[in-house]
Amino acid sequence: MPPRLGSLLGASLSVPPPAYFICSFLLPGLQSQQRGASILSCLSDNAGAYNKKIRRGRGPASGKGKTSGRGHKGQKQHGKVPRGFNGGQTPLEVVHGKRGFVNVFSVDMQPVNIDRIQAWIDQGRIDPSRPITLKELGESRCVTNIKDGVKLLAKGSEQLRTPLNVVVSQASAAAISAIEAAGGSVTTRYFTPFSIQRILRGRTDPINSLRSHDTDADSILRGGFQQRLPDPTSRKDIEYYRDPAHRGYLSHLVPEGQGPSLFFKTPTTGMPARRKASSAKAVAAENRMW
Amino acid sequence: MATETALPSSQVLESYPSAPSKSIPSLGSRRPAPTVPDVLTTIYSFPTMEPLRFAYYPANHLHLPLRRDILHRAVIFEGDATRQGTASTKWRDDVRGSGRKIRPQKGTGRARLGDKKNPMLRGGGVAFGPHPRDFSTKLPRKMYDLAWRIALSYRYRRGELIVVEDGVNIEMNEPRRIQQILEANHWGNADGRSLLVTTNLRRNLFAAMAGAGAHGRAKTEADVDVKDLLELGRIVIERSALDGILRDHSSDLNRTIPTAVYN
Repeated sequence: MPPRLGSLLGASLSVPPPAYFICSFLLPGLQSQQRGASILSCLSDNAGAYNKKIRRGRGPASGKGKTSGRGHKGQKQHGKVPRGFNGGQTPLEVVHGKRGFVNVFSVDMQPVNIDRIQAWIDQGRIDPSRPITLKELGESRCVTNIKDGVKLLAKGSEQLRTPLNVVVSQASAAAISAIEAAGGSVTTRYFTPFSIQRILRGRTDPINSLRSHDTDADSILRGGFQQRLPDPTSRKDIEYYRDPAHRGYLSHLVPEGQGPSLFFKTPTTGMPARRKASSAKAVAAENRMW
Repeated sequence: MATETALPSSQVLESYPSAPSKSIPSLGSRRPAPTVPDVLTTIYSFPTMEPLRFAYYPANHLHLPLRRDILHRAVIFEGDATRQGTASTKWRDDVRGSGRKIRPQKGTGRARLGDKKNPMLRGGGVAFGPHPRDFSTKLPRKMYDLAWRIALSYRYRRGELIVVEDGVNIEMNEPRRIQQILEANHWGNADGRSLLVTTNLRRNLFAAMAGAGAHGRAKTEADVDVKDLLELGRIVIERSALDGILRDHSSDLNRTIPTAVYN
């Protein structure tokens, strides 16, 4: 049986109960507590924080009384009129058709300028000694809301004083020259929106994919990541990343002296010209009688 | 979070050590941040209510000004999130039955009727009845966290926040015993009931409080919400539970600058 409380509390309650104890210590003038006076009954939002509901059809004093704001007579007073309905007249959209189009080939690149990256480095939010990829840019909130990729731009490039190794989707020529002048490097590589999501969650390598290196595809491991980065399949993307001027990650696949295009051959790099025809001509010339 | 001080033996209020002042770090503001003194709390042992020692809490944890609008939003937010929204009725398509016309269109002298699932008929569907839905509303996390600390501050200033040593429990599951404890401390039904908050479930205490429900309520730290903090006459809370609540609800204070993570 537990000890009865009377004897136990006798000594400790020589001081007043703690509620009043703290109370008098902090705020001597506070009135004593009332029973059941909960603050819950007198909570309300600020008067300007919400709009009063408009009560329609509740008398002339309400301002929305007689016609309830619906005007006089007709379908609009009594119910709904279809959207775009011009009262039976051929709608404008039908007469003139729709204007404009949606470009399904457009890419939505998030821009990131050099001065912003430098500011992030100065704040210690990005480590310049390691590659700056979409993962670092996204985690440090240097770039947010990445959709199709990140394009490196040159604004504030005079502020750059750190050599950087940047791996992004695209880079402007001015940005590439500024970063390389500072002793850094730029690599552009192919990303898809899904692969960007995986990179930001740390499930995909942000730099390497199967075609990043010349080595055999099977020998490249995933490096502890769940999924690989994809490589481009469309001609436009492949050609962009084959181009050394873009610092594309596929430029190692382009033979020496050749252009990045998959379609046009570089003029001087075709098959060597045949000389056989001329030798046949020479034979013919020899055999000519007159 | 909180700093502790030993209880002075003299027990004279004027001789209490002065609260250490702490300056709030400011980001990019030119004016020096104001110094806000910490506030003092006494920690008691549970059933005997002997004062054991003092603890300092930052003023932005336990001494925030009362904002009824923010408390209101938090309470409404919790109430909306608590609604089940499972009320469900059947519209005429959902009611089981045939679509057969129950009487000819003409010639009976009675009203025209289609199938028997018409909402006008007994046994038919319900027109405009309730269907399951989500009543929950949204509130910014920083605002909700602020509401927690405003509620605790309100209690603290009124002397209704009683911090006790960890391990609040009673020996046996006896509602009479917990009732005696509550009434002896002026915490019972006559004094506006009390909320006991512990870090985790204490079997004896919670069972006994369930039996002595007229005098108060016991909840774990995880089960408490802002409305609970405001509802009853006072809060009797374990030290760790209070620290845990303050730690979990300070997202508006602990602003972390996002930084790249390197493994």
